[in-house]
Amino acid sequence: MKQYKPSTEVDFVVIGSGAAGGIMAKQLSTAGFSVVVLEQGGWGKYGKEQEYNKDEWLQRNLSDDDRLMSDPSKQRNTFRRNDQSKAAPGTHSYGCVVGGGTVTYGGSSWRHLPYEFREASYDHTIPSGTGMADWPVSYEELEPYYTQAEWEMGISGLRVDSPFLAPMTKDYPVPPMPLKSSGALMKTAAAKLGLTVVPGPLAIISQGYMGRQGCVNCGICSGYGCQVRARSSSAVTMLPLAEKTGRCEIRVKSYVREISTDNSGRVTGVVYFDAQKKEVRQKAKAVILSANGSETPRLLLMSKSSRFPDGLANSSGVVGKYVMFGNGVVANGLFEHPLNEYKGVISGAGVVDYVPSDPKRGFYGGGRMTARGYLTPLELGLGGLSPDAPKWGAGFKQALRDEANHRMTINSFVTQLPVETNRIDLDPDVKDDWGLPAMRITMSTHPDDKKSMEFFRQKSIEILEAAGAKKIWAPPVGESRGGAHNRGSCRMGNDPKTSVVDKYHRAHDVPNLFIVDGSNFVTGGRNHPTLTIQALAFRAAEHIIRDAKLGNLRSKA
Amino acid sequence: MSAKGKSRRSFLINSVGGLNAAWVAAHYHDILAAQQYATKSGEPPKLAFFTEAQAAEVEAMADQIIPTDDTPGAREARCLYFIDRALTTFDKSKQKSYPQGLQDLQSKTQQLFPSAAKFSALGSTDRIKVLTEIEKTPFFNTVRVHTIIGYLSRPVHGGNHDKVGWKLIGYDDSLNHKAPFGYYDAAALSTPSGAGERQ
Repeated sequence: MKQYKPSTEVDFVVIGSGAAGGIMAKQLSTAGFSVVVLEQGGWGKYGKEQEYNKDEWLQRNLSDDDRLMSDPSKQRNTFRRNDQSKAAPGTHSYGCVVGGGTVTYGGSSWRHLPYEFREASYDHTIPSGTGMADWPVSYEELEPYYTQAEWEMGISGLRVDSPFLAPMTKDYPVPPMPLKSSGALMKTAAAKLGLTVVPGPLAIISQGYMGRQGCVNCGICSGYGCQVRARSSSAVTMLPLAEKTGRCEIRVKSYVREISTDNSGRVTGVVYFDAQKKEVRQKAKAVILSANGSETPRLLLMSKSSRFPDGLANSSGVVGKYVMFGNGVVANGLFEHPLNEYKGVISGAGVVDYVPSDPKRGFYGGGRMTARGYLTPLELGLGGLSPDAPKWGAGFKQALRDEANHRMTINSFVTQLPVETNRIDLDPDVKDDWGLPAMRITMSTHPDDKKSMEFFRQKSIEILEAAGAKKIWAPPVGESRGGAHNRGSCRMGNDPKTSVVDKYHRAHDVPNLFIVDGSNFVTGGRNHPTLTIQALAFRAAEHIIRDAKLGNLRSKA
Repeated sequence: MSAKGKSRRSFLINSVGGLNAAWVAAHYHDILAAQQYATKSGEPPKLAFFTEAQAAEVEAMADQIIPTDDTPGAREARCLYFIDRALTTFDKSKQKSYPQGLQDLQSKTQQLFPSAAKFSALGSTDRIKVLTEIEKTPFFNTVRVHTIIGYLSRPVHGGNHDKVGWKLIGYDDSLNHKAPFGYYDAAALSTPSGAGERQ
């Protein structure tokens, strides 16, 4: 792999190697630029994926070197409901390995629908207390990049023409994953209820594609690395191509603490801690910030200077604000015959009819209902039985026998509205293991969001009943909490007073800083963000490359 | 078993006890190899943490948490050995809770059944009475969780002997499956409307 000296001014530093960072690294290095990728986590099993762990007990006891997610006891964070309360230690965690969250995610790859880019001008009253705004990018502008993401990453799926799905100009590169029993039951119910069921598009290839083999349905999937490289993570798609250019260096265990600027207000590079927690200063002509929807605003807020007293790129004051982590609701049913949902991918077919918001429901919000039921043996034994099943003894054993493989779950992915007071900032008291201010999350639940979740809870019960479930249980709707789908915290927009980046991801305040990840989302869609992050990254890269080739790539004014 | 085989096993197993967690984490592949070896040998491995007397009480608890009926329970799955191993590897932090918890178990046993020498000497019905009294305690929950993990985790960790736990729940650990997976997707494929359709 190419290696650069930190004192050498490279063309781009890319902070983060996940869904967006991997694409940025590959696109920029392929276009001829020198790139250093700084990844907070380790290599994982990069290049030797067959060694990924499939052992549940080990998974609960990973050594530091085998971790694929951040460790909240080191990458400390705090959580509170509102500004009046003191934040308590939190459990927020994010993908932290070469490839980021894409190494372990379930792989759902739904496109946003056209109106999900213009929800403020949608035929509806804007719910009070929200920062609902239209995106400065339309679906039509982004459509070619969705296609590019699907074909370059490798997304399996079935193109279906439906008002509840985004219109596509090209098929998926590989067919959908096989129908599971949960999907078959969802179809049975949908036929009775007049609903639309489609296979879930997944970043898991169903057959050989671009030198990788298809999924073998091993069943130890979401949360684990893929041994056969069927999950289309940045680590098996983009980053190997970036390395092959001979112009991209990936540095692991690199914990960035500051994006540095000069007196002219341009970025000059970054300062990070290496694996030994020694400070390193890497010079760069431009910086791409792809650290994820919670780490990105935190790093900007930490990058204070006399010129940027409120944090970098934050003259609007909205850095960190409007963060969305994703709301969801779950309902379960037991069926007469075995489903064996533990085999194969976690997320199968989906009911899409309720993706659009409908004023008749009396609240703003929509969602996508996905058929699941995936329980690994330990998940089943430690918390997967129906709520009134005995916790031990003969009755517990009987419940294990009766319920194993007979359960279906409907997971609904639901709108979370952008609320200004829901935000990421720096905890005034708590420090992380590097001595930096811990991330503080402030998060309350908008009343419409609660109504959305309850709506989907009821619809899930209806579907399970129509599918013939013998027993149904659905936990009550809860408050919004942390989650992997963090986004919205550095929103894009045309007005520098109300947004952080422009429609090409350039920070309004800093000409050679680009922010490309889920933080750019203006509204949250239906809580399936990854493919949109990837499409945005391909589009951003194209514009950044064009601009750089025009001679605008420089750290000096 | 050959003397050589036996000494290798004893060496690896004994080598684990008393070492710090960092060492264990760095060497867990070796530890697993030892476990696998021990499991394959057909006889239960030696205990690394519990005394024989403690082991009898823990096993008596595990035996009520997942009892043996016409199918194997915690005893046949060798959950005791999983727990013993866990307490010297990943769950060292729970070491203290066992000796104290077992003392409390003894107290509760004598309170309810003054003539009983120890919990493990009770019959099943009386054991259930004792455990029902303590089922809300953190110690009982620790044993419960350990027993379930021992019953359903990979056999290399000492429990789930002969995959008896996985057999009970119908789990196929081949990590390589082909559709149809279950009853309903198979049925969908065999009906005319679903014929040839992949979803």
